[in-house]
Amino acid sequence: MSKAKQAVAIISVIVVLLAAVYAVVFAYRNIPVTYDGADTNVVDLYNDPQSYDVSDPDGVADIIVKENLDKTMAVNNVSAVVFDWRGFDTLGESFILLTAIAGSFVILGIHRKKKNAGKEENKE
Amino acid sequence: MKFKQGITEKNIIVKCSADKILPFSLVFGIYIILFGTISPGGGFQGGVITASAVLLLYIGYGYSTASAAVKQEVLRVCEPLGATLYVILGLCGIVLGSVFCRNVFFNDGKIGDLVSAGNITFMGWTVGFKVLTGIGFLILLMLGLLAPEFKKTKDPDYELMVDEEDEEEGGDE
Repeated sequence: MSKAKQAVAIISVIVVLLAAVYAVVFAYRNIPVTYDGADTNVVDLYNDPQSYDVSDPDGVADIIVKENLDKTMAVNNVSAVVFDWRGFDTLGESFILLTAIAGSFVILGIHRKKKNAGKEENKE
Repeated sequence: MKFKQGITEKNIIVKCSADKILPFSLVFGIYIILFGTISPGGGFQGGVITASAVLLLYIGYGYSTASAAVKQEVLRVCEPLGATLYVILGLCGIVLGSVFCRNVFFNDGKIGDLVSAGNITFMGWTVGFKVLTGIGFLILLMLGLLAPEFKKTKDPDYELMVDEEDEEEGGDE
């Protein structure tokens, strides 16, 4: 029974892996590369992002960078994405930390209560 | 399972290296928080680096000194305060006629200044403040279980064990 289950599991894993390998090879051979970043001048883009030439058809990333800086009026693209476009994401991350600390405070609060109670008893 | 005792012996090498590294970690973490919006880094990373000062204090001087130097109650109050400030700064976008977390105060300073990215700068600072206080409070909470004056007995709860050595060490410091 267990051997049959193991055999089924192994066969299914092998089939999924073969399908994944086939998909990767198919994508690598047939799907054309639209942007490889070969013509992007990073130094010019960093020094003067507002007036960078985006007429090049290979410069999709440049258009994205320029539109991003135009819309958010930020300086750094990463901080613009983190705090403006994905502000809810940052909010959720910080609230995850808040929840974790609240939970650990509830669990480890026994220790704090014991400590305070002991001190009061000693003082009395 | 043995209940691990906290750090009581103060090795001179560990103490000196904690002395040397602690101001650098404080300054470097606060620098990363302040310049997080215009350079690599950010609030989370700088907050964790700054909170490592608490761990350095514990490694060098033990739990009593660390808990005396860093007030737990202040950290406990300041952490939700940082989260509230972040929400208020996010609501500024709604108040000024746009969506949540919109960058509003953007016409200040040149590119590369400390306050040049508008609302994003202040939001990064609040996140850094929140992570700093939160991680510091978490470290102090967890190190409190390793405090040397507590010892596990047959009861499930911890009982207070006041040794004479600890009192003497506290008096010397």
